[in-house]
Amino acid sequence: MDRTTILTELKKVIAPYTEDKTMLDGITEDTDLIKDLKINSANLVDIIIDAESQYNIEIDFDSAEKMYLIGNCIDIISDKVNQSA
Amino acid sequence: MISTGNDIVALDLIDINRTKQVRFYTQILSSSEQRLYQQLICPQLSFELYLWLLWSAKESAYKYLKRLTPELVFSPTQIIIQDLKFPGSQKEDINTVLWQTTAGDVFYNGTIVHLSTTLYFRSKISASWIATVVNHQESFQNIYWGVKSIRENSAESQSVEARSFLIDKLRPYFNDLHIKKSPVGYPVIFNNGNELNIPVSIAHHGNYVSYSFVLDQAELISD
Repeated sequence: MDRTTILTELKKVIAPYTEDKTMLDGITEDTDLIKDLKINSANLVDIIIDAESQYNIEIDFDSAEKMYLIGNCIDIISDKVNQSA
Repeated sequence: MISTGNDIVALDLIDINRTKQVRFYTQILSSSEQRLYQQLICPQLSFELYLWLLWSAKESAYKYLKRLTPELVFSPTQIIIQDLKFPGSQKEDINTVLWQTTAGDVFYNGTIVHLSTTLYFRSKISASWIATVVNHQESFQNIYWGVKSIRENSAESQSVEARSFLIDKLRPYFNDLHIKKSPVGYPVIFNNGNELNIPVSIAHHGNYVSYSFVLDQAELISD
């Protein structure tokens, strides 16, 4: 699964937790989930759990704490998907 | 250097079923905190309230520590609540304006440890929200902390309302206040364009906003 495909699917995972749909459409790997997308920190765990279901992976604590930037999310998801392939 | 940190959780936005899922709560609670809940004798504190109470304490501690250690990354299971005491077990030494509460309120309180740092927290659970503030001392004598409800809960409105709530509470002491964000992301307060040596924290979730700050009025007078 390439990074563009992961990003497209990741937008769907994040969508329920941000009201800024314009910003979501234009996200890049440098987008910060809290600062840029205004996602409440209480929803970050929801995003991790939803990403686990979406990609059928398990995200460990060390990885989860890095998932505040879109680029980091893609790195971790890509890594876990390839591990389970 | 002193700091402050507070957090608020709107209970109407909590997914109770998800909170009870192992994959969810193990991302937030350490194994010692899971054991702590089993040892508590407190029927009014359901597991979901316990989890979000600890979350608010961890988030508050993170905000406190981030000001002192800008490179810190929020890792809930690394900020550990060591003990939890129930309302009625501490002094009334905090300056609070807690919306939807009655006079003489008392708080959940306890100790938080992150690496070699120990912090103390006070939390209030109302029917609608859980709010927490932390301090580096067991006494909360110079801590000011407040919660209120807002009508509009868009991200922009939450931010504007939280800032204005904080400024209103500091206005008796200063005349031209405004808030900026530090490069790291925490709020910094200015009076007449000069940065004040008063750590401030704001939080919002759903239809609730909150603030905390540390103010030693004796120091203010001597200045």
